Amino acid sequence: MVMPEVREAGLASYLASKGVSRRTFLKFCGGVAAAIGLSSTMGPKVAEALEIGSATGKLIPVVWIEAGSCSGCTESLAQAVEPDVATLVLDYLSLNYSETLSAAAGHSLEKAKEETIEAGGYILIYEGAVMTGWDGNALMVADEKGTDALIHAASNALAVISAGSCAVDGGWCAAHPNPAGAMGVQKFLKQNGIATPVINLPSCPVNPEHIVEVVMNFVLTGQLPKLNSNNEPELSFGQLIHENCPRRGHFENGEFVYEFGSDEERKGYCLYAMGCKGPQTYSNCPVVRWNGKASWCVEAGAPCIGCASCNPRSSRNNWVNNNAPFLQRFHDMHVGSTNFQPTTLAIAVTGIAGVAIAAHGFGMKFAGRTKGGAPIETESDWSKKQPKAAEAPEVVEDVQEGGDE
Amino acid sequence: MARSVIDPVSRIEGHLRVEMEVSGGKVTDAWVTGGLFRGMELILQNREPADAAMIAQRICGVCPISHAHAACFAGEGAYGITLENGARLVRNILEGSQFLHSHILWFYNLTGLDYVDPTNALSANVADTYDLANAAGTGNSDFAAVKKHLESFIKNGQLSIFSGNWFSRDTFNLPPELDLIATAHYLEALQYQAKASQISGLLGGKMPHIMTSIPGGTTYVPTVEKIDDALMRAIEIRDWVANTLIPDTLAIGPYYTEALGFGKGPGRYAAWGVFNSPSQKPNERYLPAGVIDGKFKLHDVDESLITEYTGHSYYKTESNLNPRHGLTDPEFPEGGRDLEGKYTWCKAPRYDGKPYEAGPLSRMLVAYMRGVPEIVKLIDSTTKTLGVGIHDLESVLGRIVARNLECLYIANLEVEWLTELGKAAADPSTKYFTEPAHETGEGAGMWEAPRGALYHFERIKNNEIQDYQIIIPTTWNISPRDADGVKGPMEQALIGCPVDDVEKPINALRVVHSFDPCVACAVHVNEPATGKHFEVVTNPWGVK
Repeated sequence: MVMPEVREAGLASYLASKGVSRRTFLKFCGGVAAAIGLSSTMGPKVAEALEIGSATGKLIPVVWIEAGSCSGCTESLAQAVEPDVATLVLDYLSLNYSETLSAAAGHSLEKAKEETIEAGGYILIYEGAVMTGWDGNALMVADEKGTDALIHAASNALAVISAGSCAVDGGWCAAHPNPAGAMGVQKFLKQNGIATPVINLPSCPVNPEHIVEVVMNFVLTGQLPKLNSNNEPELSFGQLIHENCPRRGHFENGEFVYEFGSDEERKGYCLYAMGCKGPQTYSNCPVVRWNGKASWCVEAGAPCIGCASCNPRSSRNNWVNNNAPFLQRFHDMHVGSTNFQPTTLAIAVTGIAGVAIAAHGFGMKFAGRTKGGAPIETESDWSKKQPKAAEAPEVVEDVQEGGDE
Repeated sequence: MARSVIDPVSRIEGHLRVEMEVSGGKVTDAWVTGGLFRGMELILQNREPADAAMIAQRICGVCPISHAHAACFAGEGAYGITLENGARLVRNILEGSQFLHSHILWFYNLTGLDYVDPTNALSANVADTYDLANAAGTGNSDFAAVKKHLESFIKNGQLSIFSGNWFSRDTFNLPPELDLIATAHYLEALQYQAKASQISGLLGGKMPHIMTSIPGGTTYVPTVEKIDDALMRAIEIRDWVANTLIPDTLAIGPYYTEALGFGKGPGRYAAWGVFNSPSQKPNERYLPAGVIDGKFKLHDVDESLITEYTGHSYYKTESNLNPRHGLTDPEFPEGGRDLEGKYTWCKAPRYDGKPYEAGPLSRMLVAYMRGVPEIVKLIDSTTKTLGVGIHDLESVLGRIVARNLECLYIANLEVEWLTELGKAAADPSTKYFTEPAHETGEGAGMWEAPRGALYHFERIKNNEIQDYQIIIPTTWNISPRDADGVKGPMEQALIGCPVDDVEKPINALRVVHSFDPCVACAVHVNEPATGKHFEVVTNPWGVK
């Protein structure tokens, strides 16, 4: 199946150097196949594709640009465990430009980027918001405006991966008052008439498993994964966090945490009363988890703050504007396309035991355990100041210089 | 005279540009430019302190925990509350795991490639490599496999992250065997920095950007199981730092003794202190607070002496204010960057009117002068081994040594704290959270990120933020000139730095990286004033 000289290739010996046997490697490849929606019997095919790529110099070139970013998404990629970042950037891909990882600096680094762009056939991974403030001067790299650099790099790319919420819709950088005119890649490229496909991977930072999923899919099939209407991979962003939450059972039983550091938290009760945004945020966080599957937010007693919720068409609907104050029980609960108004929720919570709300394929039941917890606000002071963007997500927004006020 | 520009400066966090005047083979003047403005302080207005802790940490993906904690301390000051002991321990552990992550990553994966040339490792003799590793007392790896991997990697012809590198036999001094050892450990380091972050994940939900630290304490009541998982990792990291990172530092250092001779900053050092002891007093922290003046004399920190000057930065108003009364009114100048006028997004912080260096060197010197026993022992024994004095640490190599010794100190403490938390967690009366005493007030969080002194200030009214100001460590270090024309610490450190090739000023890059700048910034070498064009640098295999 695999030619002997290919078996001697870099990847196999590298893995051997790390004590990874061929058997383990094949098992891992089966996992990769499953993660991108192929049958795990495709494992050997995955192995072959990876090994041939690393032996023949046909690895897919990647340009990773940091814009209005905190470098957290690059950092997040560095936390990938299977495969780890070294394997990923040395054996699966050719990462020709990365401000954080590249050995080169200055004009040498810019040259490497330029040559890659000219040659084409690369994937652009974009981290951070597009900074349009002061006519693009909010971000300058190598004496070039960040906005010009994006147009240049995206035009010739096979695809653009918007890694993390800032790249998807501006993220926190676009939070009110959006001082530097931050916006997402998809909308920016559309405004500039660039048709390169965009894959959105929201959450703050990006989950490295999501990057691996898209990239491996592309390496193996030459195709992008199936995307939803937000251009997110359907497989990763098709279900609510709530649907896969291990604390879900407590939600069904009406067992909630009402105070941090309490016995209820010790018992691992549901965090909904503390403002958890799991019931309205689409992501498979409870499945992929974080940091080599060590844990994830809710498992560590932290209510979800909805960092994976996004709206690539409107930077006003970034996750911070839509979800803060994070620890307030949500005044307007979205489940799928259905909005639960506070009154509905209040009735449900104030003791009509056994009220079942069936929506979007899941049922929930409040059992009347309703004391304490954060107050249910009819509308937060914060929200009163916000444009009512949530009700009109398709709004076309003009980003003005220097902010949105 | 020639201009040398590094833009972007890579292997840092953020966007930084460095422009230098080079004369007689040395840097005679320097300008450091922070290339990105996002406006965090403005975004935090009118929000709640708990939200500020969540949002403010997103200023930096490498040191988010420090920002979360500085924001928490500011909020707790405003709320008038003190942390419970359980929360104190959890925060130390979270902070410690982030320091370990950051320091390991920095030494091997960021600044490491200024000293280690993986392509040179190809000519290493594998048997000699084992001998050398044993002689240096550093960790073994399957060096043969790493070499073979490197060979096939280079044969493949795609250089990936090594595209356009500055490796050269003239400026990279290690023998091939040591290059091979360090390359093997470069790969190991990637695994250990991830392991350190897994501790943050276990107690913080995820890393980067933890979820559990909010004003009042921690939302998580840690379970014995999670603490055990974290402790196992902390022990592995401690052993690896002691047996690999430290011996590597001592093995590589002697090949670059010239790096003791340049890179000294202003010679003034500021540390706000980090890792609370049970007293929670800044001067009694595991790494205590203090400032060292230009005469190398230690003082207690006085917050009122901090000012930020904006005359050379892209802000409307020229001001020199204490951050409690600070102003953030960004405006990019119409004429663009002007080295005589406004040339950076970064403000110019000063302490008592003077530039101060922030970072592990500052912390270690302050701890040394405060007589923290473990630090005194570490510094004395290391300077003795290297045959240098305490003032030699005020250099590029000194910053590396200080950071790596600090890494060892924290690796030991991390195991202690986790052991202590394990005992505390078994006791159901241990507390982790405190409700606010009042919701109107103000507070400053003076803390440390891995890169140095970190300051968050907030004023709240009815739990709503009226004013928020942040001074990050890199702002101290990459500060532009002030009203008196006095250069910032990195600008001063670059002066006198030897530059043989204005197109590849590797020593300047070493100076910049020794601060581990965190600006999402880029250091650029400008068009040479001589009119000489940049040589086109391509890798010999071509970029694919």
